[in-house]
Amino acid sequence: MPEIHVEGLVKQFGEQRALHDVTFHVAEGELFTLLGPSGCGKSTTLMSIAGFQTPEEGRIAVDSETFFDAARRVSIAAERRNLGMVFQSYAVWPHMTVFENLAFPLKVRKMKRNAVRPRVLEVLELVEMSPYVDRYPHQLSGGQQQRVALARALVYSPSVLLLDEPFSNLDAKLRERARTWVKELQQNLGLTTVFVTHDQDEALSMSDRVAVMSAGEVQQIGTPEEIYRKPSNRFVAEFVGRVNLLSGTVAAWEGGRIALELDGGRKLWIAAERAPVLHAQLTLAVRPEALRLEPADGSTVNGSNTLDADVHSVAFLGDHYQYELESESLALTAQTSRAVAGDRVKVHIPPDACAIVE
Amino acid sequence: MTTTAYDTAPPARRSRNLPTAGALQWLTWAVVTGLIVGPFIPLLYASFRDRPLYEAGGVLTAEPYRQLFADSKFWHAALNTLEYAGLTTVMAVTAGAATAILVARTDMPARRSLGRLILLPLLLPSLGVVLGWIVVWGPGGYLTNLFDQRLHIGTLPIDTIPGMALIEAARLLPVAFMTCEASLSRADSSLEDAARSAGARPLKVLRSVTIPMLRPALLNSGTLIFTLAIASLGIPLLLGTARNIQFVSTYLYLQWTNAANPDPATVSAGAMLLLVVATLLLLLRNRLLGAEARYVSVAGRAGRTALLSLRGWRWPLAGAVLLYLIFSTLIPVLGLALMSFVVVLTPLVAPWHLLTWDHWRTLGQGEFLRAIEHSALLALVGGIATTAVVVLATLVAHRSRFALRRTLPFVMLYPRAIPGLIIGIGFFWTYLLTGGAGSWLRGSIWGIALAFSIRNLPFAYVVMYPTMARIGEELDRAGRSVGASWWTTSRRIVLPLLRPAIFASFILMFVEILNDYDPALFLVKPGSEVIGTTMLSSFIQGMVGPVAALAMVQVAVTVVVLAIGARVFKIGVTGGHDA
Repeated sequence: MPEIHVEGLVKQFGEQRALHDVTFHVAEGELFTLLGPSGCGKSTTLMSIAGFQTPEEGRIAVDSETFFDAARRVSIAAERRNLGMVFQSYAVWPHMTVFENLAFPLKVRKMKRNAVRPRVLEVLELVEMSPYVDRYPHQLSGGQQQRVALARALVYSPSVLLLDEPFSNLDAKLRERARTWVKELQQNLGLTTVFVTHDQDEALSMSDRVAVMSAGEVQQIGTPEEIYRKPSNRFVAEFVGRVNLLSGTVAAWEGGRIALELDGGRKLWIAAERAPVLHAQLTLAVRPEALRLEPADGSTVNGSNTLDADVHSVAFLGDHYQYELESESLALTAQTSRAVAGDRVKVHIPPDACAIVE
Repeated sequence: MTTTAYDTAPPARRSRNLPTAGALQWLTWAVVTGLIVGPFIPLLYASFRDRPLYEAGGVLTAEPYRQLFADSKFWHAALNTLEYAGLTTVMAVTAGAATAILVARTDMPARRSLGRLILLPLLLPSLGVVLGWIVVWGPGGYLTNLFDQRLHIGTLPIDTIPGMALIEAARLLPVAFMTCEASLSRADSSLEDAARSAGARPLKVLRSVTIPMLRPALLNSGTLIFTLAIASLGIPLLLGTARNIQFVSTYLYLQWTNAANPDPATVSAGAMLLLVVATLLLLLRNRLLGAEARYVSVAGRAGRTALLSLRGWRWPLAGAVLLYLIFSTLIPVLGLALMSFVVVLTPLVAPWHLLTWDHWRTLGQGEFLRAIEHSALLALVGGIATTAVVVLATLVAHRSRFALRRTLPFVMLYPRAIPGLIIGIGFFWTYLLTGGAGSWLRGSIWGIALAFSIRNLPFAYVVMYPTMARIGEELDRAGRSVGASWWTTSRRIVLPLLRPAIFASFILMFVEILNDYDPALFLVKPGSEVIGTTMLSSFIQGMVGPVAALAMVQVAVTVVVLAIGARVFKIGVTGGHDA
């Protein structure tokens, strides 16, 4: 049932614009991620939903209940929004035991005394922390504290779950496990969730949809695959994963394909839905793993969209090889699962692997 | 791979550097520990002799303690001290914590400026401010007369134990404020946010999260305030003695100076007792500080909205804080200022009919001039020397592998808990027992300088340590890794980064030494007076006008020096943060 509507948020910190017309909708049961570098406004957005920061303009609503509306001067206090929030530092109260931490929101809601304990234990069971019910936070590890924080955010069945970089204080191994675990929990409970992170792996692997933010603006909203494969601009392309950027001018347009003339006169054919302006400057984004490499004397990839390149360096990274290539002053990065012999290679760029970003 | 590269490299550092660093570290440790703990040995010795150390003969005995415990006046004084210190602690901690919450967690108007002004009573000369209270609110004081006789409104008599405790609490409130405010701003504000998103209203958050989190700070500052109140000499002496209310501190001081048969052995026994109590309280406080470390978490985010919206209470509460500042600081200082320009301060005659320059003229001659010159010299030399010693000791304590380094922080903070009169008596016996050098120190102002420096040394350390802790240890490890010795690394890497703290520490030491007085009461001789001792003795002799002028000199110098310090230090601090 719960859906989140965020419309036209604007927030200014002194001279600096923290949020600029931030708009998105989160569907019921969806895990929606705000992804971006530090200072991009993702945390400010989350804190605005939670009610700890007040934007100057815009509207925030969960279902039909308006939390915030600058135009109508509505701003519901944070404690009355009934949201579950997990903080970056976990914010597990150090002077209360695990049980007291979880019981607190229930007591605030005036739950009957004899109902509190079963509910707390039930939720602790859910996060597999039952054995630690009487511990103090300083007796728990980081991962355990995180589970307590999550349990505390769930114990009162909030309408929406907000996660503020909850994995950033965990080590790499633990982080990966926590990701899967949180995602499973979220799906099982069908919780509408807003998740803030600066880690693209986290965003891609967990989210139903991602909003990439930069400089207080939403750059693109889409599924992880759309964000990765069809970045709508240069920032998104460069922020999410590694990318090759190729610039050139439009030389022709025929049958849903553009001929792009690169610097130096070479032509690339790329798939495009809309007709571009002839002679316009375009920039393409191509993922390294989309490039196909062949030995210089190979014959399988030939003809169009193939460039000759010198191999600058090869790095073996376990599950793949990474090539740094140079093709007539054009630097390219390619990933292959198998090594390609020789100092000179052919690089094939599949027409449908390119996204126009500028 | 190749060894040839090393052939042209400079030769490895000779190990000769190591013993030098070691020697310097040993020397620093020995000087600091010796000067701080040393004086208690003669004190202990004196408290177990049947006669003063300056008299020949004498045997070891517990007689002084027996005499002390047999004196009903001592027990009476002890009870008064307990009441006084207890009341002071409760008032100062409650009001200090409340103010800290107002400043750190609400939308009170002008909270930042008020928060800074609240520290003022701690930095202004306490003796001067107390004299100001007496001039204005004391028996026969200006405002007391005005209210009683003209307006027929009774005022709280400040020469009672609750009255004195009120003045003491007003003086020590900043201690509680500072500790609580630091704890609040250090605490992770998401702990409170979490409670709010869990559904608690602001007042509930305050009760269940903010205040419990503050508990270590409350206990910690409460213990310190209690210790300082036990040791307080100025207020009890000036207000209690006239009404014949004795406290442990005044009991010891009057036994030492005024009694027909001065009994230094018994006084030393009393001082030892006080020392033990103060030390136990300090140990307790250290345990509490350890407990507090558990409560520390990541710093909160800037730019968040205040936890508690005061609504209609915003202005009244800001007014209350302002009122505290007016009563505790502004009125006493203004009273002193007025007093220094009039023949007598009375509501019966308008002050402009009584204007005079006589009090200020008095300052230019005799004992008054000597005291000013001495104090300025002591503050300058003592400030530089103490800062230098503390820099070295802090380096040894936190940036060396010296075996006994962990003892230094405790030793350097120790004097903060020791009553000034104990330091005075301890140094008195020490000078007496150390032959030529001791008798020279005893006869000159430098004996007082040493006692003042040791007494105020903790302030320098408290300023120095946080800055040192902020300088990443990788910085000097990198220095060591490229081959610099401990001393070179300290001098070339740590000290330059420490510069703002060194300057701030000197400013603070200058002000504290300028305004200190109680250790000197036991060391002063005709010819070696300082401002504090002259103020006290002249006030008791009834020379209120010149004393007021003298106090104004202290206040003015303090304010100017602090203003310069704040300006320069602020630049230094922001410079450090940008890096």
